[in-house]
Amino acid sequence: MPNLNGKQYAMNAISPMKPWKSWIVRGFFLFLGYFPGAGRDLNNLSFIHFARWVIVGRKQFPRLDPNRAEHKDNLRYDYLLFFSNFNGTWNQYIDAFSAVLSAGLDFIWRRSEKYPGAVPVTPFKTYIQRGQFETDYYYSAYPHAATNDVKAAHRVQAAFDSLDAKRDLPPAEFEQAYRQFVLQVQTDLGATGEAPVGT
Amino acid sequence: MANKNGNIYGLTILSPIKQDAAAPVSPSLELRKYLHELCAHERSPFARIRDVHMARLVVMDDVVFEGSPSHEEHLRYKYLVFEANFDGDLEPFLRKMLDAAREEVGQIWRHCEGFPGTADPDKFIEYMKKCQLETTFYFVDVNDKTVPQTLKALQTQSAVAAFIQKHQGATGGGLREAFRQFSKELAAAKTPHPASVRGREFTGQLV
Repeated sequence: MPNLNGKQYAMNAISPMKPWKSWIVRGFFLFLGYFPGAGRDLNNLSFIHFARWVIVGRKQFPRLDPNRAEHKDNLRYDYLLFFSNFNGTWNQYIDAFSAVLSAGLDFIWRRSEKYPGAVPVTPFKTYIQRGQFETDYYYSAYPHAATNDVKAAHRVQAAFDSLDAKRDLPPAEFEQAYRQFVLQVQTDLGATGEAPVGT
Repeated sequence: MANKNGNIYGLTILSPIKQDAAAPVSPSLELRKYLHELCAHERSPFARIRDVHMARLVVMDDVVFEGSPSHEEHLRYKYLVFEANFDGDLEPFLRKMLDAAREEVGQIWRHCEGFPGTADPDKFIEYMKKCQLETTFYFVDVNDKTVPQTLKALQTQSAVAAFIQKHQGATGGGLREAFRQFSKELAAAKTPHPASVRGREFTGQLV
């Protein structure tokens, strides 16, 4: 299933917006860009490696020769494209989004045509499914590592580098530093590997 | 610039796919068949580039109609969507992509309108930029680590877990010597290959 690669799921979705409403969404994203703390919930969820929203204006779909009449789309709507690289299953992802980020999601997608709201979750899932399109090819440089694995690994690396700088200490002092190191990294040592099967 | 978050670049490209009503198999289906056969693991063209965290290729058939009273409308073209998250900046990446995966790039984008081929890197870059869309908002969970740094950290994590398990109860000079040897071997170990799915590949022969 090309939407999946190891622990990663690639999601693509599109939704139409009236052009004047797309400027509200642009303003909201501009605000998020200036005040990163406002997007803290997204960090705290800690199962999204990368995600992006791209607003495509109704005259902005790339055309290689804009002078050719047959290249023109004559669209009335702007479109909001959403791409996400997350861990876990589609259902878990949408459930978590609905439960934790409903206010933020509503602010973004409420401007899209016929958006039902992130809560309750059943019409929300139906809406997402209608706008989702399948991935044909999906690559990940570390398919067996979830976002928490990646963050934990970087913490272990930093602690290891710090201990390595102490390897010439007298044996008793090194032993003490080593014990501290083990205490520091013990919660970050989970193994990477195949994801459990889910729906 | 929303295309970047920290050191990571978020590239979004929409290339219009050719239309050929006379062809026995449509260009979009040919493209899908090729993508289906393309390796997504260690032998992936993106693994050869080495700077790519995650990437996808998607054929987008049309926009969506949400039902009445919304207006129903359609795109003139199907689009090939190329979404990539990589270290560094756009032009060096596109040059590297062409160098490392010329054959695959040619096979994929030959189905797209206006693709100039792979012989001239400048024309290729110009084409990709014409098809690029500016990202409105880009979220990256870890935005200050490169692909090799992450692969090395995952290797260290796995090796450290095995080392701790093996040396439970060790003390003093013996522990220090074992750690020194371990540190030397870990520093000398090759950074794991991107996209490996063999499992336990991060520990390898260490410990």
